[in-house]
Amino acid sequence: MIKFREGFYADVRTEDRFRTVIGYQNGNPIEFKTQNEIRAFIRVYDGRMWYYASVTDIGDVQKELDSLYEAATPNRDILSDPVVAKFETNKDRIFKFKDRSVRNISGDEKNRLLLGYLPFLSAEKCMTMPTGYYLDRNSIFGFVSSLGADIAYDYQTCGIALYCNMVEGDKKLSAHWQAGDTLFENLRGKEETIAAEFAEQVKFMRESVPADAGKYPVVLSPEAAGVFAHESFGHKSESDFMLSDESMRNEWQLGKKVGSDILSIAECGEVEGCGYVPYDDEGTKARKNYLIKNGVLAGRLHSALTANALGEELTGNARAINCTFEPIVRMTNTYIEPGDLTFDQLIAPIKKGYYIKTIKHGSGMSTFTIAPHVAYEIVDGKLGRPVQISVITGSVFETLGLIDGLTSDLHMLSFVTGGCGKMEQMNLPVGFGGPYVRVSSMNVQ
Amino acid sequence: MEKEYKEYIVSRSASVTLNVTAGKVDSYRKKEETTGTVRVYRDGKIGVGGSLGKPDEEKLTETAEKALSLGLPYVCAPDAAVEVKEEHAREIVPAKEFLPRMQEMLDRISAACPNFAISNKIRLYGSEDEYRSSLGRHLVSSGNALSIELLFQSRGSGNLMDCFYGYEGTKFDPDKAVDDCRILHDAYYKPADIENGVMPVILAPADLFGTLLRNFVGEVYVSGASLASGKLGQKIFSEKLSLSDDRNYESNPGSCFFDSEGQFSEDYRSPIIKNGVLESVLTSKNTAAQFGLSPSKTSDAAYDGVPSYGVSGLYVSPTAETLSGLVPGKAVYVVMASGGDTTPDGHFATPVQLAYLVENGEIVGRLPELMIDGDFFEMLGDNYIGAVHGGLPGDGQLCAVCLNVTKQ
Repeated sequence: MIKFREGFYADVRTEDRFRTVIGYQNGNPIEFKTQNEIRAFIRVYDGRMWYYASVTDIGDVQKELDSLYEAATPNRDILSDPVVAKFETNKDRIFKFKDRSVRNISGDEKNRLLLGYLPFLSAEKCMTMPTGYYLDRNSIFGFVSSLGADIAYDYQTCGIALYCNMVEGDKKLSAHWQAGDTLFENLRGKEETIAAEFAEQVKFMRESVPADAGKYPVVLSPEAAGVFAHESFGHKSESDFMLSDESMRNEWQLGKKVGSDILSIAECGEVEGCGYVPYDDEGTKARKNYLIKNGVLAGRLHSALTANALGEELTGNARAINCTFEPIVRMTNTYIEPGDLTFDQLIAPIKKGYYIKTIKHGSGMSTFTIAPHVAYEIVDGKLGRPVQISVITGSVFETLGLIDGLTSDLHMLSFVTGGCGKMEQMNLPVGFGGPYVRVSSMNVQ
Repeated sequence: MEKEYKEYIVSRSASVTLNVTAGKVDSYRKKEETTGTVRVYRDGKIGVGGSLGKPDEEKLTETAEKALSLGLPYVCAPDAAVEVKEEHAREIVPAKEFLPRMQEMLDRISAACPNFAISNKIRLYGSEDEYRSSLGRHLVSSGNALSIELLFQSRGSGNLMDCFYGYEGTKFDPDKAVDDCRILHDAYYKPADIENGVMPVILAPADLFGTLLRNFVGEVYVSGASLASGKLGQKIFSEKLSLSDDRNYESNPGSCFFDSEGQFSEDYRSPIIKNGVLESVLTSKNTAAQFGLSPSKTSDAAYDGVPSYGVSGLYVSPTAETLSGLVPGKAVYVVMASGGDTTPDGHFATPVQLAYLVENGEIVGRLPELMIDGDFFEMLGDNYIGAVHGGLPGDGQLCAVCLNVTKQ
């Protein structure tokens, strides 16, 4: 039982994280480990400064908490501090994976699953250095605060990540495919998908030609659209960037027109997948938040600190990558809401443009970037040759206003490698997605 | 070859991190962590035991012994007995004065840069790593460093960040930090312009080699997927280009001089490219043996994981003493470039979110947003101008390359 002191706000977040990593390269096992780390992160606030510490021995929590209390200054009005007044005091237990935890599945079973998929990495002569991983994580989170919050929930992801290099003469490609899920059993039966994905990449390696650099209409797949939403606007919705400069609040007034009328971007931690966050790392319950609704700035993402500073409501977006960092404002699941077109209708009006099917990475500042992996040209309303593109880029606001078509299907994606990076906290699991999205002009390199 | 071989590694790290919002320190975070690793090698197999927290060598050895039954093949050529200690930990700022002195510096930067809203992190960190092998190899490395990473938003821009100042080193020189930030600030508000075309571009090694580095990874190289495949030992780049993985405390403060398998190079820098010759590709001991490559002495491993290749830091050998000596006329200085990549056939392109125009080694003004691009072999070959250490804010390493520059 943690003893909190009067005159301070404090909270303690714990994570019991179980992980499995099984890896093969060239047919040989290169990694086979299960890991169980238990950590805690402690925060003390005296109304003026935050004091943080992380521990790897739960038995040290009280000692570290007490040492933070000694560093801080008691404040008898702490309960009326506006940031403290923002905190929710939820009490809840949500264990969705108790009976289907990857902790209870044997290493042999996980290994067999991976071994079953490895032959697809050697299906053609041009495929070299076949490398495959099975990865899983099951975390049990706990959160208690001096205000009485008491939350526990579990989180789970598992997946398969496959890689190989494709080489034929001067032609080369680093090929990859992965699938993430929350349940182990859903990783079965992927044979056809994997075979098709690698066959497409072989064709891409053999037949792709350099794209013509310039400005063209671009159609984004749900994967590319999700990354676009995340990078182009999601990061700009993280309101901690507005704390240092009050004039930002004028630039970012809710109700401002920021995109085309058909564009709505939503954010929600309740969506199942790798961005599932039923309670954020300050104990705030997840909820659906619109960042853009029908082209208008509708909301932004908050921690208690930023919600207070901007006079807005909590959103459930204070997150840390693990219990060695403090929560900062981060996304959970970010997606563009669907429209009413089919894919064929979406590409039909394009005389010359490009379709971005899969991507390598993306980034977003005043301009956003997406580095495509597999892409195709669009000629006279039809998909054409595979094309190599280094990067597509554009001004965020200009591009949001150039979205002029959305398909009616929404696809959410979940991954088991990579993740979102912000400042010092890299690879936070986030979900993203959307429909197929048409942008009337983007800079293609 | 020894039939059985054991390694025992203990790593201790500690840091204090200050968060900066609106030019003020608003949080203080302390972190201490110890990890332990035992690796046992027997009959061509590896077993690993790792722990978070104070390690118990006996228990870790038991875990590693058990893990041998997993049958992970690993060829580990044991290194000879040697005793080396590189202990560089020293006081950079007294712990008790850290917060007030950083706030004092931030106040001065805020005054010198009135149009910049300042945020992000300042960190004082240190580590001690110890490696022991059953053959009597004993290595100890310790050091610490100060990291100042400040993000600047131009007031009213509406952007996440508009400019950046970074310093990593073993000296706290607030006067220099304030001067550097002032240079960045003042030039930010002086518009400059260039013509589209090929011109010298100055950028940090991480920005130049970031997306190109995979071509120097052992597995990629031997699979034929590297642009440099089949060219080990050949002079394929500019005579002026020498690139190493950097574990030298002088240029990479806070780094450990040995890799995760207890290997180190003579000057703690492991060459990848030497005077234009592809000397080595990145390996662990196992991948080196498996693929018939020379060990690059650049392996990395999680405390409970099997070693793989890694990169500790990049060191580009200087070819000039001053920036003006390297690039006498006009050049583009890339401060922030994010999101670029290289196509399979070696075409590199990246948007540049912030660039300054440099003339005769001095920053003169801010350029519009740019796109820079070039070809892998040309960038590191005929178009590679050279490198200099220091000369611009932050005093980091800088490379100069002729690239195609296009205003956006």
